Amino acid sequence: MQSYGDVTNEESHIDDYRDNLKMELCHLSVGYGNQEVIGDINLSIHEGEIITLIGPNGAGKSTILKTIAKQLEPVKGNVYISGRDISRMSYKDMAQEVALLLTDRVNPELMTARDVVEMGRYPFTGHMGALSGRDREIVEKVMRFCDISELSNKDFRKLSDGQKQRVLFCRALAQEPKVMILDEPTSYLDIRYKISLLKLLKKLRDKKGMTIIMSLHEFEMAKFISDRIVCVKDDSISRTGTPEEIIKKEVLCELYDLSTEDLAYFEFIM
Amino acid sequence: MRDISSVERKRCERYAVVFTTLIAALGVAILANINTGNVHITLSEIIGILSGKAVDGNAYKIIWMIRLPRLLMAAILGGALAVSGFLLQTYFGNPIAGPFVLGISSGAKFIVALNMIIFAGAFHGQSSWEMIGSAFLGSVIVTFFIIMVSESLKNPAGLLVAGIMIGYICSAATDFLLTFAEDSDIVNLRGWSMGSFSGMSWDNVKLSAFVVGLTVFITFFMSKAIGALQLGESYAKSLGVNVRRLRFFIILLSSILSATVTAFAGPISFVGIAVPFLVKHMLKVSKPVIVIPATFLLGAVFVLFCDLIARCAFAPTELNISTVTSIFGAPVVIIMLMKRRTYER
Repeated sequence: MQSYGDVTNEESHIDDYRDNLKMELCHLSVGYGNQEVIGDINLSIHEGEIITLIGPNGAGKSTILKTIAKQLEPVKGNVYISGRDISRMSYKDMAQEVALLLTDRVNPELMTARDVVEMGRYPFTGHMGALSGRDREIVEKVMRFCDISELSNKDFRKLSDGQKQRVLFCRALAQEPKVMILDEPTSYLDIRYKISLLKLLKKLRDKKGMTIIMSLHEFEMAKFISDRIVCVKDDSISRTGTPEEIIKKEVLCELYDLSTEDLAYFEFIM
Repeated sequence: MRDISSVERKRCERYAVVFTTLIAALGVAILANINTGNVHITLSEIIGILSGKAVDGNAYKIIWMIRLPRLLMAAILGGALAVSGFLLQTYFGNPIAGPFVLGISSGAKFIVALNMIIFAGAFHGQSSWEMIGSAFLGSVIVTFFIIMVSESLKNPAGLLVAGIMIGYICSAATDFLLTFAEDSDIVNLRGWSMGSFSGMSWDNVKLSAFVVGLTVFITFFMSKAIGALQLGESYAKSLGVNVRRLRFFIILLSSILSATVTAFAGPISFVGIAVPFLVKHMLKVSKPVIVIPATFLLGAVFVLFCDLIARCAFAPTELNISTVTSIFGAPVVIIMLMKRRTYER
């Protein structure tokens, strides 16, 4: 196993696994019940790729993420992970492959930050859920990697929203997933932790070949971190492309229905 | 690394202290219950009777036929009630959810009233199998209804409301029956609906020990999945838990436990809410694998002491068990609500 703690070595191995197909979304329609929110999504995601969904609020970014994480049933179409159809995978099989960070607030009773991170080992522990020495080692390692060791013994409910978010991210990592699905992972974080989260994600991709699919609101971060950006608007995927192709005034104006008048403000944001 | 192991060690020490205390308290409660009553029996006599040396006389009958079955029932059903409450609180993610908020006791009361007023015409006494049967039937009917609703209703809050409504419907139907009932039936029904452990037989003990033992055993072996639910349904799913199936089992197990209690002792209030809260705050942990056995133990101890008070406080008049559990349980719930506010933002 590679070390999470190895920070100095920044060289990337992207090219080694670029050709490796990890996930496929085939004619996927997502929504609630029979109500379609977004239709006919086709997307191939390679191992070690960072894919970012951007788009206006309520466009359906979370719905897509929840569907490919098997939290929601697809309305139509299929999602494949490593060639397997997720609707035929058990929740347990999924859990050993995919980890999830949601925007849901959690308020667990009497759990320390460490207890929450330890939950990430759930798919790998025995029948009564006792942690093995290896499980503890991994928990220790990911907590150091995410720099939350000092929160370890604090009551989770007493942490700030930003700290909670970092602990929940760390919990997802403790699952040692091959794919991470993150719904607005930067929410609640101040700029320092936003940047450190992006650094961690880059490291996970480069060192572990992790595939990361997430939604972001910040264009500049999306541009910095993503291999490809997917624009979600109204009832479809309006565009997919490299950050250079997407993070441009014209494209973003169209995506967010901004007028030329708004562009003046836009300068500030960019 | 030393930091973790010391925290872990502190926790284990706490578990050890709490479990030792609970077991000691259970011992004291059992001794106190067996040793107290209208007829004074000395400790040496009791030891003689229990070890089988003295096999006749009134003292023997009182110990074997009255006190022992009664205290065993109080312990078994008290534990069952507490575990049932713990399960429902996990299900609803709400510490106020108790075994009887789902209308189970109202269902039981309705069938008991129906049997008492319409079919039997006369009251046969608390221990009669007819009484137990009709209470169990009522609980089971409501339980099945709840499980059916839980299959189609996805959110727990909806199910909670449905349970409360079932409770109202059953109460209304009971009140309707009472309009045409004899005064003595009304008094008897009221007495039953406050719960009591008097008149328990060994057959009662055997049956409830079997049902409760099996159910609590299964619950204990589901600790891991129940624990995953603490981070909410979505995260539980993402950790590999089949949440739908887990929820079905939680409701089923909890309902079996509360139906059993209601059938034998009538509705008993507040144990299911107060005990799990106390246990979690004694242990300072919410891991089900630790909390479930401790909850059972404290439930048993709590109800044993309450029954002791019910028997002795105003002897020879006996109080209803709910009267006592409410007096001790309700303040705990108020403290709990006040403590809970700390975490709400």
